[in-house]
Amino acid sequence: MSDTRPPQAPDASPLEVPLRATPATSPVAPDETQLELPLETPRETPSQPPLKIALPKGSLYADSVKLLARAGLDTAGLEKPGRQLMIATEGYQFFIVRPTDVPVFTSLGGVDCALCGYDSLAEQGLELVELVDLRFGACRFVVAEPEDARQRAEHSYQRRGVMRVATKYPAITQDYYDRIGVQVEIVKLHGNVELAPLSGLAERIVDITATGATLRENRLVVVDEVLASTARFVGNTASVRTDPRIRALARSLATLVR
Amino acid sequence: MLPITPRGFKDVLPGEARWREAIVSATRTTLSLWGYAPIETPTLEVLEVLEQGGELSSTPFRLFDTDNELLVLRPDVTLQVARMTASRLSREDMPLRLRYVERVYREEEGLKALSRQFTQIGIEAIGLSGAEADAEVVLLAAEVLGAAGLTNFTLALGTVGVLRELLALCEASGAVDRDWSRAMLRAFHAGNLVAINQLSSAPGLPSRYAEVLRALPLINGKSEALDRVDRLVAPLGIRDGLEQLRATWAIIQACGLAERVTVDFSVVSAYDYYTGLVFEAYAPGLGKALGNGGRYDRMLEGFGISAPAAGFALGLETIMQALLNEDALLNRDAPGPAAAQNELRLVPLDDDNPAAAFIEAARLRAQGQAVMLGTREGER
Repeated sequence: MSDTRPPQAPDASPLEVPLRATPATSPVAPDETQLELPLETPRETPSQPPLKIALPKGSLYADSVKLLARAGLDTAGLEKPGRQLMIATEGYQFFIVRPTDVPVFTSLGGVDCALCGYDSLAEQGLELVELVDLRFGACRFVVAEPEDARQRAEHSYQRRGVMRVATKYPAITQDYYDRIGVQVEIVKLHGNVELAPLSGLAERIVDITATGATLRENRLVVVDEVLASTARFVGNTASVRTDPRIRALARSLATLVR
Repeated sequence: MLPITPRGFKDVLPGEARWREAIVSATRTTLSLWGYAPIETPTLEVLEVLEQGGELSSTPFRLFDTDNELLVLRPDVTLQVARMTASRLSREDMPLRLRYVERVYREEEGLKALSRQFTQIGIEAIGLSGAEADAEVVLLAAEVLGAAGLTNFTLALGTVGVLRELLALCEASGAVDRDWSRAMLRAFHAGNLVAINQLSSAPGLPSRYAEVLRALPLINGKSEALDRVDRLVAPLGIRDGLEQLRATWAIIQACGLAERVTVDFSVVSAYDYYTGLVFEAYAPGLGKALGNGGRYDRMLEGFGISAPAAGFALGLETIMQALLNEDALLNRDAPGPAAAQNELRLVPLDDDNPAAAFIEAARLRAQGQAVMLGTREGER
């Protein structure tokens, strides 16, 4: 379905269209001055607790830190965090979290906002606000099968009425097959999904690929595209609606990645 | 088999139960002072009947009874009250101001370890319309949260009227269809600004609509937010929903609640039954809303009568979590079970004359003193 894919063509980011309209005639609340200035770094007022931000460990980490640095945040402590998982700076608290855990940290209010891959968001399906498509960390979810057993899945489907698919992402996989109307048995694995069709555990896999190298090395070919993923800036409903610093940061990030 | 409760259900022991009771009782007093009368609704409903009023949230518990009816454990009280009003009450009884404290049963996908039973403190104001009624519901929600003991909470309010009118215009342009509108509504419900942005790029959609769609969920503030939306939508001929919100806001402001309330056009509640005002209440550090409410003027039509209606539901357990967060933040001691125990007096039982203790205890209780009978002096 096209509406679940990130835009391929660059289009206007929503985050600055009319908010820069001329100031209202009524007196402007203190927060508002900040909201009106798109690139101003959100500043902490003395009474405010630090803004809690989760960052995904792993492949999105370096780009996430770089982007926050460009947005004017002090990220010196984040560049080589060592074993430290929580890093406090002036006005901010950063939490380095496993990518798949970022949605739950955000949704339940453990952190106010986060940078997170769309893949994790889609898989968890939790209630949170997706603010900005950050456009880095692009990867695709694909269906793949062994190069030398290309008929096996189809054959199984014709004879058995079902095919077996291994994946780390059962929710995304189920959603995809429901959409195309194919019955599947989903086997959830925790890693090295490519082994499933090679060993005969499953006929196909649904997995993430950035370059396709791992698939090629394991002699797997892409059968179909499931969805495309990029990193997103997200926040929990309550924080997004009550903390103007998140909106200000969202606006900065949107301008930077445009 | 281990003696455990089903997943997502728990027992409430005296310490917690006392606290729950105290909060509920304080909120009941407030609601009664506003003229709201208590009602109770059944735990189970016929699924097909309830769905006539609107789309249901998750219904994790469904069962067949011996009549072969498909029943659900209520996921929501509002639809039940609509059914009740339509079937048991008439227009002459209106306006109706009803309050309830009921348990609802829900489940959020992906959070399998969390609770599946929630207690809602809520109201329904049926047969009342206009900005005054909307303001009553919002002001009352704030007062109830205050009565529950919360000091640090905010309300965000918006209106779905503007979005619905805008989507109708988009469809009328011929560039998009019903499915697109539904997808757009879903994106607003889900707070998915990326999807809103993508859907706004639908080929052929007039850019004046697309720009407003992209801008709307980002508008947040006090009365200047209303001005901003007005400047956006007035050229498109959208008026009604916004006028009422402006009048509601004026009342809220005059009542001194503007500090606590923001106007936020990203608030489009997760239920499709809302028709005008929508609002949510938040406390710091929770991630989720303490509760939400709004106007649903068409819900009763589904059950065969036509009447405007508005209301809210607040989550007792969420309020308790917010109170704990406040305690921690303010280094405040919550009134624990010890306080209740200290107010309790022990009257010792005399082995030779057991009735004497009962008579003495009755005398003390008549004065309002809580009394417990002990088997021996000093034994507790």
